[in-house]
Amino acid sequence: MTFAATIGVIRAEMAKTIRIYLSYPIIVVFWAVFPMLWVFPFVFQGKALVGGMSSPAFEQLTGSGNYMAFVLIGAMVSNFVFSGLWGVGNSLREETYWGTMEYIIASPTSPLVILVGKTLAEAAVTTCIVCLQAVVISILPFGISFTLAKVLPVLLIVGLLMLGFYGFTIAFAGFTLLIKEAHGWIHTLEWVFFLFSPIRYPVQVNAITQVVSTLIPLTWALVAIRGIILLNRNEVSLGRTVFILLVMDAILLVAGWLIFSWLERKTRRDGTVGMH
Amino acid sequence: MIAAVDTVDSSIALDCQGVVKNFRRGRGLKKRITRAVDEATLQIPRGELFGLLGPNGAGKTTLVRCIATLLIPDAGRISVLGHDAFRDSLWCRRRIGLLTSGERTLYWKLSARANLNFFAALYGLSGKARDKRVDYLIELMGLKEAEKERLERYSSGMKQKVSVARAILHDPDLILLDEPSLGLDPQFARFIRGFIKEELNRRQGKTILLTTHYMDEADELCDRIAFINKGRIVDIKSPGEYKRDIPHTEVLEVRVQGQPETAKVQALPGVERFSAEFKDGVTTIKLVLPRAEMVLSDVIELLRGQARILGIDVKQPTLEDVFLYVTGTSLGADTSEDKAEVQ
Repeated sequence: MTFAATIGVIRAEMAKTIRIYLSYPIIVVFWAVFPMLWVFPFVFQGKALVGGMSSPAFEQLTGSGNYMAFVLIGAMVSNFVFSGLWGVGNSLREETYWGTMEYIIASPTSPLVILVGKTLAEAAVTTCIVCLQAVVISILPFGISFTLAKVLPVLLIVGLLMLGFYGFTIAFAGFTLLIKEAHGWIHTLEWVFFLFSPIRYPVQVNAITQVVSTLIPLTWALVAIRGIILLNRNEVSLGRTVFILLVMDAILLVAGWLIFSWLERKTRRDGTVGMH
Repeated sequence: MIAAVDTVDSSIALDCQGVVKNFRRGRGLKKRITRAVDEATLQIPRGELFGLLGPNGAGKTTLVRCIATLLIPDAGRISVLGHDAFRDSLWCRRRIGLLTSGERTLYWKLSARANLNFFAALYGLSGKARDKRVDYLIELMGLKEAEKERLERYSSGMKQKVSVARAILHDPDLILLDEPSLGLDPQFARFIRGFIKEELNRRQGKTILLTTHYMDEADELCDRIAFINKGRIVDIKSPGEYKRDIPHTEVLEVRVQGQPETAKVQALPGVERFSAEFKDGVTTIKLVLPRAEMVLSDVIELLRGQARILGIDVKQPTLEDVFLYVTGTSLGADTSEDKAEVQ
């Protein structure tokens, strides 16, 4: 297939995914309203736990007492990760459920190209939602401001985080072709991320979480993003994070591609492509 | 110096040689390997409408999936227009159109046009060429008025029309139709059959492999038919040749209420083939034999004491009866659990 035809497939897949997404009115309403309201549970939780929006104990662990800002940044960045898990990791299961998977596999287009289209569609939708969330929290008095000097390195970190993470979700999508089950695995992965990466709390609170968290790219990305937004961290530590994420990206993308290709071939051999 | 001769024989649209497909079920000590397709060999010349006829579970769909490259066979070779289906899989996929049975093979949340546009992209069609082809197919299938409606509002027959349009969207040379009229009401089934024969085969000259367990469909449409039973291709002939094979034969069909004991009926002298199918409280017994009147009184005698006889017919053999005669299995049977266990 030519490069132009491949781009055509990616565009068609993105259009299809977004069109199906928009065909469920409740999802559209939810995502239109959710970015306006999503901060309040965190505000109320913060008030109940520390009596306000900052805590001296928290400052000792993280360098910033602004608990609310910590949690809100964690929630926004993890949105990318979790929506990627559902949107990309679960996408081939959806195709199987719709009965369309066999027609994708029987076409001359590699399912990996389809996954790239799904990834870009998912990334586009999540970016819109996270941008809305960022607008909401920058308007409210949480001590978070988004200047261009902060946003650009944050976008770099998020881009690097998601590049490797999509490698992981592509392997996961292949895995779902084999196991015919995705929801349980995604819930388990969400739980692992919540436990072992600093989405809602600093991982330094426990020795095990501190060690395990270093294996998860989300940890490195969150530490760097919070450093940029809350602590105005210098460029040297940013460079280290970029390097680590690049290494992780290379490993995850290559491994994701190899694992998916192997699993796809295995399902063709086992005769389970269209089963659900 | 003599130039290398290209051995690709493009007059043969599909060539399957000794195709074997096994499925593994269970794990550990409970692991079972069953043979779904057992050394299937067939050749289909270009432009032929070829039928694969067999009961449920005979291996028809598995063989079609192997040809469509959805399944990798355990042994054997499949060539499409002279190209190996697995070494040259991308080339072959561009030349194969596929229609599998079942309604849920399309995006119900999208319109017919959006569905066709998406699948067109998978085959490298874009821009004006795609629009022209999609316009043509929507017109051809009579979907113009409903083209922008979501498929969830379509009837089963209309969805099947979209599926047929998708199968021929990229103008394939070989079209695989797996039970194309399954579950359709008679009017749509008639339309689909007419379209396959007149439009795709006669007018466009497409090579078609059609699987079905409807005897009438195979008889009406196919130039040649392969009987497939328990994964094996038993015989390949034209419908006329099959019927001529058993010229001095009659079929005695007896319908009785309930499920009577039929072993003695089966053992009557002269009975060459026997089948008994129980459905909706009625058992249909079929006996293939040289002359029905040889056993008629004995059959009535054996059954009368056990169940109420609802009807008796003496018929000339149909293709369905020929299938029973050749394979010993009725087309209405479900043979999915009868496959050979390899291990």
